[in-house]
Amino acid sequence: MSGPLVTRRNALKALGATAGAATILPWLSDEGLAAFADVQKAGTAPVLRVLTPAQYVTVERLVEAIIPTDERSPGARDARVADYMDLLLAEADEGLRKDWLAGLAALDAESTRRFGRSFAKLDAAQTDALLTDISAYETRKVVADAALDVPRNEQPKPQPPQVDTLLGDIGRHKGSRKSQLETFFANTKQATIHGYYTSEIGIHKELRYKGNKVLLEFVGCLTVDGKDCPYCGQKAEA
Amino acid sequence: MPGPVDKTLDLELAAITDESRKLAAAIKPASGPWDVIVVGSGASGGMAAFQLATAGVKVLMLEAGRMLDHKAEYRTMEWPYASTRRGRLPGDQRAIQAAEYNFYDRPYGNNPEFAKYKKLSSYTANTFTRNWTVNEKEHPTTGTPYAWVRARVLGGKTNYWGRVAIRYGPLQFKAASRDGFDIDWPIGYEDVSPYYDKVDTLLGCSGTKEGLIQVPDGIYQRPMKMNCVETHFKKTIAKMGRSYIPGRCGVSTEGQLNNKYRSRCLGRGRCSRGCDVNANFHSPAALVYPARDTGNLTIRPYSVVSEVFLDEATGKAGGVRVIDANTKEVMDFKARVVVLGAGTLDSTRILLNSKSPKHPNGLGNSSGLMGCYLSEHHMGPRGSGFIPMRVGTEPTLDDGRPTAPYIPRFRNVTDKHPDFIRGYHFQGGGGSYEYPSLAHDMPGFGKALKSNIRKYYPAMLSIGGFGEVLPRKENRVLLDPEVKDAWGIPVLRFDFKFRDNEITMARDMADTADEMLRAAGAENIKIDPTMLPEGWSIHEIGTARMGEDPKASVTHKFCGLHDVPNVFFADAAPFVSGGTQNTTWSILAFCWRTMDYVKEQMRTGVV
Repeated sequence: MSGPLVTRRNALKALGATAGAATILPWLSDEGLAAFADVQKAGTAPVLRVLTPAQYVTVERLVEAIIPTDERSPGARDARVADYMDLLLAEADEGLRKDWLAGLAALDAESTRRFGRSFAKLDAAQTDALLTDISAYETRKVVADAALDVPRNEQPKPQPPQVDTLLGDIGRHKGSRKSQLETFFANTKQATIHGYYTSEIGIHKELRYKGNKVLLEFVGCLTVDGKDCPYCGQKAEA
Repeated sequence: MPGPVDKTLDLELAAITDESRKLAAAIKPASGPWDVIVVGSGASGGMAAFQLATAGVKVLMLEAGRMLDHKAEYRTMEWPYASTRRGRLPGDQRAIQAAEYNFYDRPYGNNPEFAKYKKLSSYTANTFTRNWTVNEKEHPTTGTPYAWVRARVLGGKTNYWGRVAIRYGPLQFKAASRDGFDIDWPIGYEDVSPYYDKVDTLLGCSGTKEGLIQVPDGIYQRPMKMNCVETHFKKTIAKMGRSYIPGRCGVSTEGQLNNKYRSRCLGRGRCSRGCDVNANFHSPAALVYPARDTGNLTIRPYSVVSEVFLDEATGKAGGVRVIDANTKEVMDFKARVVVLGAGTLDSTRILLNSKSPKHPNGLGNSSGLMGCYLSEHHMGPRGSGFIPMRVGTEPTLDDGRPTAPYIPRFRNVTDKHPDFIRGYHFQGGGGSYEYPSLAHDMPGFGKALKSNIRKYYPAMLSIGGFGEVLPRKENRVLLDPEVKDAWGIPVLRFDFKFRDNEITMARDMADTADEMLRAAGAENIKIDPTMLPEGWSIHEIGTARMGEDPKASVTHKFCGLHDVPNVFFADAAPFVSGGTQNTTWSILAFCWRTMDYVKEQMRTGVV
């Protein structure tokens, strides 16, 4: 759909924004805005700011492996989480962006070392094996960094803060206990979760969220037809 | 084929800022006369203006920020996917995070880490509130770490307040008599309870009568029911002698016939973005606009008050000095009475900066105690877990309500805790909310991760504590001798920290959260014992404490200065101790009481 000349004006128009909005958009470049305007149209090709087309394919495979399509709902690929990742990368600090892209390269290197092919070309079992290994830290007992688990109010000195996630959060543990690939996975997983569960697919199809509409009376746990709650037994009012 | 509109990018503030500039330009000192000047337009300034204007008093309200276009600015029902950044701030803005408050030097805005951002806000800034919070680079603070949250816009922080509306009770007013620490308030619950009743009726409050001394009952509209996990939790902790009650919140669930600007609650949730039908109490719709409709209220936006000046002839306050936020023009506005509702800390700062030969340490500060006894609530310790009965069930709609349930204080109510005095409460509930935050702690990937998130999504229950911070003389603010804000006004230097009683209490919060979740049979219990930085509660009180003795207090029991008869606080600066209760509802009740006193003083010619 996107023409060869994606101008700021066209992009704003596509987003339904007025021309006046341009004055309050100094933080987003023309390309960034155009990219997102494009992405908002379902099915259009991504306009990437950071990722190369090849990297984009790898990211699509990775986010889909983290939150896949299943019998209930489409996964992160259909929810365009890879596009969201590209936007996050575009707005991340340079150091963080470099680290993350290095992590993506390391993922391919590890994939090639183990299976003789890049991550995007792995089959399901190989993807599963690789991700199982680089996510094992999640259930690993860590003793070395126990000092960092002392509450802030009981530490002799506050720990230096360090933004180390694409979502802009400060990791309390600074990622020091993880390898490069583990840090990369952790970061990508958190951003994937955020991108997916804030998407239309994540909210409506997967979670079947019923809110953000007029609800004249909060019904608590009671079923809408006024019967006693089947779970906790709370009585319907007479 | 246009894509979905991104309202984040679409937001157009030019009209409202233009209108605000025009309003400011049109109102000069000669535009009066006014009987009373009210500084600030939040809960306190709004209530002060409403009480006075509806009684026929001519009021000038000075708001440091702009007017509000709540229809455009309140994006109450916006879906996360309507925004490019899914709720994150634009790239040139940044909110200070918890860990940064304690680690980075003050002023926070000077840190090289933040040089690349145009605006640095307190932790409360998000895509919905970012146009209301102040820029730390223009509003620095110095001294000890403090997360001072300020909003400069009509309505102040009431545009996105937490809505919890709990009364102070006998346990606060007579706290010293009970445990020997510090002093009692010079008034009792019986002095304020009629005003809480009036506030409940005027503004609308949702809740239930429970007969608990630690949280006295009010006059309530339809309460919020509990969902499964909450009902189960309530039954569990009842066996431990603790209560879990429907949240009490300043939201009209049945509608307010007295106010044409407000609707009843429509149960959509998302109240903290600003409620576009004004069911949630916020000062503009509930108080300021009705006050303006009387014809007795003039609102001047962009009016930064630097000091209260003295009328040398009478020895009373003559009015306030205003610096126009845009033009920097300095103007003196005069009135018979000055009411400060700039928020506890900014009101205190204005008076500390009001120096004259007769009041060398600031107006009303002959005791030297102005700025001392700063208190708030300490927060941070929290717990969460999954309640088994709802694991694996279809999600219900659990965030279509303005508040979650509340565990009233249970320490040092009837018993005596061996390790600390005073107490804390918990807020929090459970069930399915739009964003499944539990997902971030869920291990694994793939179908297992996705189905586990879905499986536990309806079962989450989490609670977080709010504890009393003991009022101490040494916990204080003072004017910084060097650093000034963008308008040349000296900034506040904090000398404030949590001490042993708070730290011991915080440990107990984490322990009892754990104990209750275990008793409820919760799975995957997570306890975070970490205290949040000082200031996090946004419940600051006490810097002009009230008392009978002018040498030991700054204000008398009607919140006026001992030293000057015509200067009053409408905010929480005169509060002696804060209990565990969220402060807004008490500000409203005390302000109403103070305004009744002010009107009587005006009627009898005392001021």
